[in-house]
Amino acid sequence: MPQLHFRFRFRCSRGTGCVGSCVRIHEKAASWCIVGVVVTLCACRHLLELLRRSAIQGESNSVLIVGPRGAGKTMLLQCVLRDLLQEKEAQKNLLQVHLNGLLQTDDRIALKEITRQLNLENVVGDKVFGSFAENLAFLLEALKKGDRSSSRPVLFVLDEFDLFAHHKNQTLLYNLFDVSQSAQTPVAVVGVTCRLDVLELLEKRVKSRFSHRQIHLLSSFGFSEYLQTVRTQLSLPDDFTDRGFAQDWNSSIQTLCEDKSVEEALQRHFNSSKDFRSLHMLLMLCLSRVSVSKPSIKPADLLDASRLCLCDAKANMLHGLSILELCLIIAMKHLNDVYEGEPFNLQMVHNEFKKFLQRKSNSMYNFEQPVVMKAFEHLQQLELIRPVDGSSAKTQREFQLMRLMLDHSQIMEALQKYPQCPTDVKQWAMSAFG
Amino acid sequence: MIDSVCSLCVSSLVISVEGLPRPTIIIPEQHILIEGDDEDNPYVAKVIRLFGDGDGEQMKAVVQWFVRVSEVPLSKLKLLGREPHPQEIFHYQGRICDDEVNVESILRPVQVTVACVHPKVLGHKMCTNITTDVKSIKFKNYFSFAVCLIRNLLDNQQDLNSDGEDEDEFVPSQKELNGCSEEDEDDGEEEAGLDSEEEILVKKGRGTTAVFRTPRSKQKTHSLTRTPRKNPNKKIMPGTPRTPHQATPSIPCRSLPTRQPANILEEARARLHVSSVPESLPCREQEFQDIYSFVESKIIDGTGGCMYISGVPGTGKTATVHEVMRCLQHAADVDEIPTFHFIEINGMKMTDPHQAYVQILQNLTGQKATPDHAAALLDKRFNNPAPRKQTTVLLVDELDLLWTRKQNVMYNLFDWPTQRHARLVVLTIANTMDLPERIMINRVASRLGLTRMSFQPYSFKQLQQIIMSRLNKVKAFEEDALQLVSRKVAALSGDARRCLDICRRATEICEHSTTNPSATGLVGMSHVMEALNEMFSSAYITAIKCASMQEQLFLRAVIAEFRRLGLEEATFQQVFVQHQALCRLEGLQPISVSEGLAVCQRLGACRLLLLEPSRLGVLQRVRLNVSQDDVLYALKAD
Repeated sequence: MPQLHFRFRFRCSRGTGCVGSCVRIHEKAASWCIVGVVVTLCACRHLLELLRRSAIQGESNSVLIVGPRGAGKTMLLQCVLRDLLQEKEAQKNLLQVHLNGLLQTDDRIALKEITRQLNLENVVGDKVFGSFAENLAFLLEALKKGDRSSSRPVLFVLDEFDLFAHHKNQTLLYNLFDVSQSAQTPVAVVGVTCRLDVLELLEKRVKSRFSHRQIHLLSSFGFSEYLQTVRTQLSLPDDFTDRGFAQDWNSSIQTLCEDKSVEEALQRHFNSSKDFRSLHMLLMLCLSRVSVSKPSIKPADLLDASRLCLCDAKANMLHGLSILELCLIIAMKHLNDVYEGEPFNLQMVHNEFKKFLQRKSNSMYNFEQPVVMKAFEHLQQLELIRPVDGSSAKTQREFQLMRLMLDHSQIMEALQKYPQCPTDVKQWAMSAFG
Repeated sequence: MIDSVCSLCVSSLVISVEGLPRPTIIIPEQHILIEGDDEDNPYVAKVIRLFGDGDGEQMKAVVQWFVRVSEVPLSKLKLLGREPHPQEIFHYQGRICDDEVNVESILRPVQVTVACVHPKVLGHKMCTNITTDVKSIKFKNYFSFAVCLIRNLLDNQQDLNSDGEDEDEFVPSQKELNGCSEEDEDDGEEEAGLDSEEEILVKKGRGTTAVFRTPRSKQKTHSLTRTPRKNPNKKIMPGTPRTPHQATPSIPCRSLPTRQPANILEEARARLHVSSVPESLPCREQEFQDIYSFVESKIIDGTGGCMYISGVPGTGKTATVHEVMRCLQHAADVDEIPTFHFIEINGMKMTDPHQAYVQILQNLTGQKATPDHAAALLDKRFNNPAPRKQTTVLLVDELDLLWTRKQNVMYNLFDWPTQRHARLVVLTIANTMDLPERIMINRVASRLGLTRMSFQPYSFKQLQQIIMSRLNKVKAFEEDALQLVSRKVAALSGDARRCLDICRRATEICEHSTTNPSATGLVGMSHVMEALNEMFSSAYITAIKCASMQEQLFLRAVIAEFRRLGLEEATFQQVFVQHQALCRLEGLQPISVSEGLAVCQRLGACRLLLLEPSRLGVLQRVRLNVSQDDVLYALKAD
């Protein structure tokens, strides 16, 4: 089934897209689309040359790949590494160390990880021996002993590079960059980050040692290329086992992409974000509706999926509230209108609610104070309201100041869709003043 | 403890030795061990004379020093022309050391034996080599003859007299050669004494099958018996999570050799790499001279001192000090100045300021210790008079990282040089000129003293000269291009590293653009401009241009809201109202709050916006990280 194929494709190629395509072109595979080729091809070549020189000539380098999330930074690096490792000379020499700022949260862990991945002498099995200080001294000594011509070059890949800059004294970065700028073991330090201001995070000594090479990976493509990418991403390759099915499938994709409503939905996604990961989310939702009985994606599927992706999370939560909780929310909305967003407490909300009840003859919503309190607490647990910062926990719960975490549009939207919402409540919500 | 106290001269002396029940008598001409820095390897000396110090309270001994193999600097050891035995000792005639010692520092007597070399091991060729080479070697009164062996009198088991057949490298000459005191200052006497001794040697050498010829020179080569290997304290305790002692830090060797640079641009690139060590450091001659004369004078006088060197990053501070040390080391090698010990520590290369002690101690003696213990040992070493001490030059890089709340690390580093016996020269490097005034308490700043030097950022002429000297006649750059780089960098920071990096990048750009046939193959202005742009231009404007429609709209909404509020800060909720209005204005479908938050988070991840933690939801405050003008400019250009 194509589903499996795509699932594989989407999962394996983290952030496929312009870079993936550019690399495909690099490989002279014509079936891949042309997106932002000029920029990414240039970046690709720059990085490949740089790493090749490190691997083959033993030149030390440092470089940062900067770009928004989902622009294909990691993909670029992976493709370049794959190309590089096809060269025998590079493959035999290059040692790789991969670090991630989210995993190696301080230098102690990072050092252990480096030592483990380099498999230095103080590693036994999977364990790294020695204290933090010893590990640092050991690693530096090891790197110092090497020289350009005789030791194997080491590639350090620092994912989420900006997080490493928050480590104490930036010891790790200083030492890596220092090695890269002195006649020791050749190293190539590649940092991957989405922060444009990453250089400002570096301490002046660290910054001076960094070579200031930056590869900016920005998604500068337009909607037509985006559409093209959707088409190629969904199409089955020519070498698919069931050729007849592949042809049917591809032609159905072709018609799907030409559909006006589909184009509109995709345009909306494109307007919202150029991130390929969110596109994959959308396409995955469509694909999951494909079955043996329905072997193609219909425009309705895509529209449904699009609606699912774009719907408001908080407004959805409101649908699950009880009438009392909803009434409290409406009371808060009115308080916000009257006091222009000043914080409120339970007592104020309850008063507002009582005012509404007084105007009504029937007392079907006449709840006891403890019940209202419970409802209020439930809202707090759902994080629809949150206590104001700095309000001490000592104050009685009834008087603790709160803020509403919802926008008015969300409340109104939820009310429209709320099943069997009483009309007077709806009217109360829509009236200008409580 | 002291046996006979006559008026001045003492004929013998009784000391009690640890581990021996009876007191031991020490007489002149006997070899002794003297307490030193390294507890495992005390100093060796021969007693020449014992005397009392006036009232007889203080007993002193005049000694003739010997040096162990481990104490001989490597450069000198090479002059020996053969592999020394680990237990071998050499006659010492340096003038720096006081030859009077307190008797309290005498540990115990020791047996020094002159032994012959086993021919099987040293090899016939080797032996003859010694004879020929030795003459040409200029030991220059440093150590004038090779050999003797120390055998510990305490180690009474004679397990060393295993025969020449076994794998023992040296055959012990079993007789104790008390008379073989080879002070070879005068050659005449020496020649005479030599022959007789050779006879002894040849006779005594068991298992030597007559092939052995004693060298006929004043550098007599004898070898030593081995100290019995009985040191149970060397056992490593199992199970402790320490770095294994035998672990050697190393990176595996590459299986294929590096490629050599193939063309001029590659050659230039290799030369321009910051790591390539230049033959000389241009533009820092004055600073070099100052540091050189400072350290040299301290070494010659045998005193200590501190110097503080400051300068912004990339101005050649560390490089200059290293260059000075290289030159001084060279001078020491050719015996222009006494030998010294150079140690380097870097505040950034340690995990904790107190690790400085550990690193210094390890560099000085090779011992490993905890920071507290190391501090105590170093304190003892620098505060107590010890015989035969050479000057230590300590380079402390990134000094500001050694700051602690009580500042005791800095205090100690600057206090030791002021001690009379320390012979310690401390060179400290940091970035800020007023570091002593800013972060140091008075007693530390006062000990650092006023010997300061500051490295000014390079001017454009100097930068140009640096590149030229690095390139060293490799013609890869156009004149104008070089000038552009150096002027640009000089205007920005004066950081030589930056300058070299830009040049290197420019060569790459040039290499890729050589498809153009009209190009000269040299790096020109355009290439340099491109490299400069790549490195210094900020990507904010391009990033805004490449952002999605909603992201751009959101930025506009932020600016609109700021204008409305007259503040540079707004909550998401406020901005979102503007955003909805703008959407309608642009004819786009208004987006939901979740989507709006996602857009906002994406801009925050790139740091185009500064955001509060996202758990605040619609209440989080938003600020711009770019100037409003930049945003408007970027959005207008479309």
